Amino acid sequence: MAQPPKNLATPAIEIRDARVRLGDTDVLRGVTMMVPRGRMVALIGPNGSGKTTLLRCLLGLQGLDSGEVRILGEPVGPKVLSRVGYVPQRLQLEPSFTISVREFLSLRRRDTRGWFWQSHRRIDSMLHGTLGELGVESILDRPLAGLSGGQLQRVLIAYSLLAEPELLLLDEPTAGVDTPGEQSFYELISSIHARLGLTVVLVSHDLAMVFRQATWVYALNGVICCEGHPEEVLNADSLKAAYGIHVTPYHHHHHGAASGPVEQPIAFKRR
Amino acid sequence: MLEFLAEPFMQRALLVALALGPICGFLGVFVTARRMAFFSDTISHAALTGVAAGFLAGFEEPTIPVLLYCSLVAVAMLWLRERTQLLNDTIMAVLLSSSVAGGVVLLSLQRNRWAELDKFLLGDILSVNWTDVGVAWGVAFFVAGVLLWKLTPLVLLTTHEDLAHVGGIRVRAMNYGFVILLTVAVSLSIRALGILLVTSLIVLPPAIARSLSHNLRQHIMFSFIVGIVGAGGGVLSSYPLNLPTGPTITLTLSLLFVLSLVVRRLRRDATDVKPTA
Repeated sequence: MAQPPKNLATPAIEIRDARVRLGDTDVLRGVTMMVPRGRMVALIGPNGSGKTTLLRCLLGLQGLDSGEVRILGEPVGPKVLSRVGYVPQRLQLEPSFTISVREFLSLRRRDTRGWFWQSHRRIDSMLHGTLGELGVESILDRPLAGLSGGQLQRVLIAYSLLAEPELLLLDEPTAGVDTPGEQSFYELISSIHARLGLTVVLVSHDLAMVFRQATWVYALNGVICCEGHPEEVLNADSLKAAYGIHVTPYHHHHHGAASGPVEQPIAFKRR
Repeated sequence: MLEFLAEPFMQRALLVALALGPICGFLGVFVTARRMAFFSDTISHAALTGVAAGFLAGFEEPTIPVLLYCSLVAVAMLWLRERTQLLNDTIMAVLLSSSVAGGVVLLSLQRNRWAELDKFLLGDILSVNWTDVGVAWGVAFFVAGVLLWKLTPLVLLTTHEDLAHVGGIRVRAMNYGFVILLTVAVSLSIRALGILLVTSLIVLPPAIARSLSHNLRQHIMFSFIVGIVGAGGGVLSSYPLNLPTGPTITLTLSLLFVLSLVVRRLRRDATDVKPTA
């Protein structure tokens, strides 16, 4: 019987007993999690729960005090990071930095790294295949610093996909996006996930989004408090463990464009 | 009209200006985008200690001590930024004021050198020799070569350091490398514009080019050209106008900056005019 390719047999993310202390605070106190390939997972938790630190560990931007992190079956390093796409919250560009969307996207592909000397037509022909559904072809000439939050997030997604990643990490991706833009952004992520079959990790505090989009949820508060399908994790007891307050999920009785396993969007209220 | 160019000292001054102007313009695009203008100012002011220490050590031309001391200050700024919780502005202000005070104190110990203070504060491009011309062009080719070689990583680093890291760029090494290039360019340009004005050669060309550019490629090319026009134009106009050359370079760039604002305004007005049906 044929064995699956080795790279698909390994989990997308393996974290074993990861501990990080920053200053006087134990930010991660023994995080263990394993994300199989092909899932669209969400990492949720309150402010200060270690979400960003954990993401930084996955990207090799933060070292561990102890424990182990492997992505795509390898220790975190430049080699494996070339197979990872990362979408940061925002770019905080200086308005005087005139880089255009086309130039920014060119930085990601090996064949367009000579963008300074290449014609726009040549660059566009090389980028074209990836940009199709992302709606960024019409803004290639725009300065990156002048984009709206929604446009910028699409450009960042396009940038990540240009390297054909196997794992896509998104850090609070809709932080600067208005509500309609947020909805269409998550639909885009879902569609990319479905089409390319890559593993997607969304770091978010947006519980409604988690319920709609993620197929698996990790609730973090220094440690992984609970994990499971959204409807299992997003209940009062689990959320109290993660958020340290009583949070009750309740369902809106209208139908959003849900594409996850649960059909109704939810919101949360404290009690 | 340009018969003064027959004078060897004017030829040398023009050649030095044409080497340093465009390189500072090129670097300046990234200095301004990375909010490092004050950083460049700190490096230039640090040169005063380098000058005074160089004289004290017996150097007639303190270029090497200036380069060494400025590099030390630049690396200290990065190191303190990484290792302490201090704000960037605080670190730079401390190093700038300490270096100026240190330089003045060291110069005060050598009264015979006190008269040369003006030369370093305001620049003295007319006194450069052919060796200086050679060094300026050598450094210009080196800096331009490195910038073009590392352009894509540098642009990505300027856009977002974490994205650069994920893209396989050694962020720390690139940051130190860029700062060393900037230090070399600033240290050598002090001879032309002086400690007080050298930052204008870094900041004004990209600010002028910004008004004319739609993308980064244009920004870099225009900033490079503005560096040539501003530095060269300043040298050429200072002689017939009988003005000090360094400040004339800065004023030429300032004039171009005002013109660029006017051009920008006119272009914006033209864009705002709605086509009639």
